[in-house]
Amino acid sequence: MSSPIRRRRDGRYVIRLDDNARRVLADLGQQLPEAMEARDPMVRRLFPPAYTGTDQTGAEQEYRDLVDNALLNHHTRSFEVLVATAHADTLSADEFASWLDAIGSLRLALGTRLDVHEDMEVPAPEDPMAAEYGLFTFLGELQYLMVEVLASELPDEGRPEGTL
Amino acid sequence: MTTRATTQPARRGPVGVTPVETVPMGDLGTIVDEDLSTDKPWLVIVWNDPINLMSYVTFVLQKLFGYSKEKATAMMLDVHHKGRAVVSSGTRERAELDVYRLHEHGLWATMEQSS
Repeated sequence: MSSPIRRRRDGRYVIRLDDNARRVLADLGQQLPEAMEARDPMVRRLFPPAYTGTDQTGAEQEYRDLVDNALLNHHTRSFEVLVATAHADTLSADEFASWLDAIGSLRLALGTRLDVHEDMEVPAPEDPMAAEYGLFTFLGELQYLMVEVLASELPDEGRPEGTL
Repeated sequence: MTTRATTQPARRGPVGVTPVETVPMGDLGTIVDEDLSTDKPWLVIVWNDPINLMSYVTFVLQKLFGYSKEKATAMMLDVHHKGRAVVSSGTRERAELDVYRLHEHGLWATMEQSS
């Protein structure tokens, strides 16, 4: 079976998704900006510390003051694009890139709330976390297929600045 | 892919990067060494996290730094198996920019000065 995601000859992207999945993406895309606004702990992985360790708190604060707003705007923008184009037939390259950012952020937020860890067991169907874990898995499959398409467009040998 | 290529990532960083081993040290005397300590390169580290997909991490390293698929894959495997990998190095400003771009893409990245 061919991948449900492909890049057309005209450079636009097609994602084969049913209406239910699109509604879920749009809903999540609306919830996350609210969670960021409320500084919900589930979004902490979207704003990670910039300095290793704890001996750089002054530098860390300076960095946060400098970029947190830009980072918030970047995440917000990607969710807005996801919501606005959730039911679109095709996506531009920029919109597709925003989808990838938004879906990655959704996985980080849901994964944080689910406390996902290596070798984690899939929650049993009666587990209250099961539905959200299913969502997390769905987003992972979507991200995997999107990355597959985008990675195939990059040169395997890299760009000049990556080899110097 | 060999593991050898992954042990010295700082040597093949982006344009403008100061390789760790060219920083003058040792025989210049203690006072000079102290003055130079602020010029030690900053390393950008990506940490292992249980959420991001391996293929996604590789893709982001290729996209942001222009690394070959082989090099980006080796770095990703280092992150996965050793818990962290240096993905770029350079001035403090450059490292902050790289950390920011990695954070835009959801990777768990921090910076620290080379010791």
